[in-house]
Amino acid sequence: MIPALTPELILYATAIGLTTIGLAGVVLSVHLFRMVLSLVIAEAGVNLMLVLAGYRWDAVAPILTSLGEQPAMVDPVPQAMVLTAIVIGVGVQALAVSILIRIRQRYATLDRWEVAERMDADIAATAGTPRDVSQEAPLGERPLPPIPAKRVDPSGSES
Amino acid sequence: MNGALALTIALPLLGAFLLPVLMRVSVAFGVWIGPAILAYGCWILGDLWLTGSMQPFSVALGGFAPPLGINLYADTLALLFALAAQLLGLIFWPFKLDQDSARRQALMLLLVAASTGLALSGDLFNLYVFYELTAVATFGLVAASGTSAAYAATIRYLILSGIGSVLTLFGIALIYGQTGTLNLAHLAQLAPEQLSNELGLAAFLSLLIGIGVKAELFPVNTWVPEVYATASSRLSAFLAGLVSKLALLIILRLLLLVFHQPEAAQVILILGILGVVSGELAAWRAKEMRRMLAFSSIGQLGVLFIAMALPDGQGMLAVLALALHHLVIKSGLFMLADGWGGALQRLRGSAAASPLAAGLFVLFSLSLVGMPPLPGFWAKFTLITELAGQTEPLYLMGLTVFLLATVVEAAYLFRVAAIIYQSAPQERRPDEIPKAGGLSLATAGLFGAGLIATTLLIAPVGDRLQTIAAQAQDVDLYINTVFPATPGASQ
Amino acid sequence: MTLTLLDELLLFSGATLLVALFIGRGLAAGWMVTILYGGQLLTLLKMAALGYGGGIIASSLSFTVMGQNLSWRFDALSWFFALITLGSALLSSWFACGAWERSYAKQGGNIWLFHLAMALNVLSMLILLASGDLLSLFIGWELVSWAGFLLMALAGGVATQAAMRYITYAMAGGMAIFGGLALVYSSSGSLQLDAVLIAVESMSTTKLWLLVILFGGGFGVKMGLLPFHLWQAPAYAETPGPGSAFLGAISSRMGLFAILLVLVKLFGIVNIDSLKIPFTLIDARDLLAWIAVFTIIFPTFTAMKQNDARHLLAWHGIGQGGYMLLGVVVADAMGGAGGLLHVFNHATYQAALFMAVTAVIHRTGTADLNKLGGLVVRMPLSFMVLLIGIIGLAGLPPMNGFVSKWLVYRSLLNEGMPLLFLAAVIGTLGTILSVYKLIHNIFLGQLRVEHEQVKEAPWSMMAPMLILAAIIFITGLFPGIPLAWVASVQEVVGLPATDYTLGGVESVSGSLDMIWVIGVLFAGFGIGAVIFYSAGRSKRVHQLDNYAGGHFLSADVRYQYSDNFYAGLMHLVGGWYRGSFLWLEKSVISLIDFLSLVMQGLYRRANAEFYLLSTALFVMAWVVI
Repeated sequence: MIPALTPELILYATAIGLTTIGLAGVVLSVHLFRMVLSLVIAEAGVNLMLVLAGYRWDAVAPILTSLGEQPAMVDPVPQAMVLTAIVIGVGVQALAVSILIRIRQRYATLDRWEVAERMDADIAATAGTPRDVSQEAPLGERPLPPIPAKRVDPSGSES
Repeated sequence: MNGALALTIALPLLGAFLLPVLMRVSVAFGVWIGPAILAYGCWILGDLWLTGSMQPFSVALGGFAPPLGINLYADTLALLFALAAQLLGLIFWPFKLDQDSARRQALMLLLVAASTGLALSGDLFNLYVFYELTAVATFGLVAASGTSAAYAATIRYLILSGIGSVLTLFGIALIYGQTGTLNLAHLAQLAPEQLSNELGLAAFLSLLIGIGVKAELFPVNTWVPEVYATASSRLSAFLAGLVSKLALLIILRLLLLVFHQPEAAQVILILGILGVVSGELAAWRAKEMRRMLAFSSIGQLGVLFIAMALPDGQGMLAVLALALHHLVIKSGLFMLADGWGGALQRLRGSAAASPLAAGLFVLFSLSLVGMPPLPGFWAKFTLITELAGQTEPLYLMGLTVFLLATVVEAAYLFRVAAIIYQSAPQERRPDEIPKAGGLSLATAGLFGAGLIATTLLIAPVGDRLQTIAAQAQDVDLYINTVFPATPGASQ
Repeated sequence: MTLTLLDELLLFSGATLLVALFIGRGLAAGWMVTILYGGQLLTLLKMAALGYGGGIIASSLSFTVMGQNLSWRFDALSWFFALITLGSALLSSWFACGAWERSYAKQGGNIWLFHLAMALNVLSMLILLASGDLLSLFIGWELVSWAGFLLMALAGGVATQAAMRYITYAMAGGMAIFGGLALVYSSSGSLQLDAVLIAVESMSTTKLWLLVILFGGGFGVKMGLLPFHLWQAPAYAETPGPGSAFLGAISSRMGLFAILLVLVKLFGIVNIDSLKIPFTLIDARDLLAWIAVFTIIFPTFTAMKQNDARHLLAWHGIGQGGYMLLGVVVADAMGGAGGLLHVFNHATYQAALFMAVTAVIHRTGTADLNKLGGLVVRMPLSFMVLLIGIIGLAGLPPMNGFVSKWLVYRSLLNEGMPLLFLAAVIGTLGTILSVYKLIHNIFLGQLRVEHEQVKEAPWSMMAPMLILAAIIFITGLFPGIPLAWVASVQEVVGLPATDYTLGGVESVSGSLDMIWVIGVLFAGFGIGAVIFYSAGRSKRVHQLDNYAGGHFLSADVRYQYSDNFYAGLMHLVGGWYRGSFLWLEKSVISLIDFLSLVMQGLYRRANAEFYLLSTALFVMAWVVI
């Protein structure tokens, strides 16, 4: 049975959809800037969800207009929280973008795998260790089963 | 005096915003602001700790009573960690003066303020805000070391942390949608009816994984080795020592107060076991000091998660003891890594160059692997006795993994000790041997002295930890403290 | 507060440690520490009542941490082991003083660290021996482990490698014990011995099995029981001379002490007897006995192959531990007495042997059995000590090793265990062959040119060796002296006590009187001597005053070779030395290495975001479904 298509449902679906798109974007993107953008989308989705958590369809905006009898009001707490969350989000995004600029300047790329590779090489170089993972040389000693004692032929021939 | 508690958060925050301006006015004046604020914070908290009645109390911020207003909740556990935040902030204060120092000091104040907030806050959304503040300050401080690798590590951490925030907010939205409140005490009252269902569990798991990013929960801890290897040792010490424990503390409070589902504990247990296995094993092959410490830190946090997963807060004492122990040890070890960072093989002969540092390294390592009578042994002892008492086979598996991991840990730590005590290779000039010295060695010595003092005073310290754990375990006490009007709440 | 004798002993030992720590760099530090060991031994002798009939001396030191009571006390078992510990510490330390210490320092050794490590070992062993509950036992156990590590590692180089291997094994053992401790705690709610004793009664078979494996394995690591024996020989052998004498004499016996305390006294050998291995005829006790027997055989034959005198002795140390465990596991009056007496006897001759070998190293600079020979003419007293030592080690009369081994054999036959008996005899065969290699390659045969000027060991080293040799002979002649202590130990751990006389044991199934045995033996020697000396004149000639193939001998040509000893035998049995245990050890390390690589790859190649989301989805799905 398909549930009735109320506006509430549409909004919830939008919120979850936005979050999903954002998260999928983060996982699937290769470009770091796209990853940050996807994060913004996901955050928007979650913020919408938070607003919806306190929203009432039959109520008015939570502003005191008179001191008398009040009509039912929307829960103001989530809206305040969302404002905070948005502010934090914007701050983090700004920081992210500024760091991205620095990385672009240093590494001339924003491909996530290339950046990771370069970072690994940098860390290893600073520390003075060889790169931990080498594709060519197998690491460690391979355990071999005990070698049976060489049986010497009584006749003395080494065949 | 209780009202001054809010100052421990507000003053560093204020300082963080004013510091860049003041530094521009007068550097000589500006450099003392941060330490002064933190010292004052330590004094407030220390005073509360020493003169207070040891009874938990709640401070309503702005005069609005909870659940409508936001409150700070201060039991001995929260006070202890708030004090640790301020004290460690002071110890790891970025004293170095250069053109960036205003920014670094401001960020450090922000980090300490947010950390104190994490320890004290009694409101879920407020916790989220402090959590994000911690994250932002951390990003700034990691990037402040200015190397390309540090920028790359920061952005990778930032994106991971961003997803963590999304999941945390999602969990908060679920909880708010269900209960209409985010006050922890209020949630604790409502939880048995409204959150002991699948929705509550889903909310908890979102929160767990979201907050777990900071608490080095497997598998959302991949940032740890990169960040600790690129950030300054002092910052790594603060992050590994304190911030991860605070994130863990939040999860523990949530588990204790709100989410009593056995599945929740089970997930934590499994992820904890995987964390121990992955961390300790990865450290086995680490060729570099900081990376080794980072992996070992993952392993230790895994042990904390195992302890946390014990049902009904039985593991509270073990969590507390292990957390404090790891806080001291890891801070000390990272301080040693300040001089000794880099390839382990380079350390040959450094014991002769700095014998005190070598001695401290051995002391920390011994305590970390739990050699009696050092405090690490007692922390581990509380954990394994609790674990062995469980009938669920998963807990026994946790016990086995924990013990095996300790063997691996001892092997790699003492491999390093053996390298340190080797004689220096002939072809190396004496000045090429890395030396641990100066301020960082003094700091490490401070932690070492603390460790030895705890060893000598283990009986009273143990008793005190037991009372703290018992207080933190008491859900009714929490609710009654926040809502004094409703004695004997719905529990 | 009045100090009990045990307090005095521990304080004395602590004072020794402090002396070694603070004035250990002084000139006469070695002598000072030695005198303090003597003082400790005297204090121990004041407690001698413990060794004859029991009683308990408690320490006034006890405290409560996190709800756990910790206490320390001495009984006959502790006293017996402490006597051996302090005796060997005194003599080893004495041996180290003077000449040895000077040459060690000249070679770049750190003599301060050596004395410190010795004092630390002694103190930690006393603490372990005094443990009054399982928790203090574990604390003592770990202290002993790490103190041993210090002593083993201090020579640097190869020794550090060996010590690293040791500490990894020891940690694994320690963690097994720790786990066992937790399991015991979960069923008894306390780690006090009385509480555990009660809890054991009602334990399920599975749990008892698990505990036997955990404790047996954990304590077995220190004893060097198969398959955890690999660390021991290199670690002991590479320790500086007197240190190896001390470690070889007592260190690994701490494992036996713990087994006696936990598996025999607390769990009761009878309880262990009831643990059957499903689908087979053997039970846990048989398993232990067979492990003991294999611990006798394999290391003993490995010892035969060694070309370094210290390694040869150290491998024997592992093998002889097997006899002790075997005797204790047989657990009748004779077997228990044999096993426990062997602890004492082994300590005496092993210390003497290590000292004799160290004396040879001191004079010649090598312990390589292929590069020595003929030293009997230059170091006759050392030769005597080594001879007495190997007779003891091989278990032949008139030395003390014979008595303990005879008791073990006798009990195996009495209890109807012919297969174990046969295996033990095979082990003894290997012992005799390899100790002959030892004495022959060092002292017999042709003296090497480069050793022409070698002198007898200095008196500071000779005196403790001679004292040990005397003890070996006297306790061989009057085994009743140590058997009195052994009998009280047997009573304390709940084994049937043996019926001893001054010359041996009284038993329906067969008595032993060493006074008679030795009397007959020496009468035989006397007759031989009479014949020898009365038969005719003998002339003492120089080694090279001789012929070979019609030619005179000269010093630059060697006529007698000591390398590749037992070539024919090695040809026959060589195929059996397959290094299977080494292979096992390497496999475990490689496995950890591989897993470590996987885990590092996990963190390095991480698509962290993907991990996060898939974990989130996975746990959600798991919980909701």
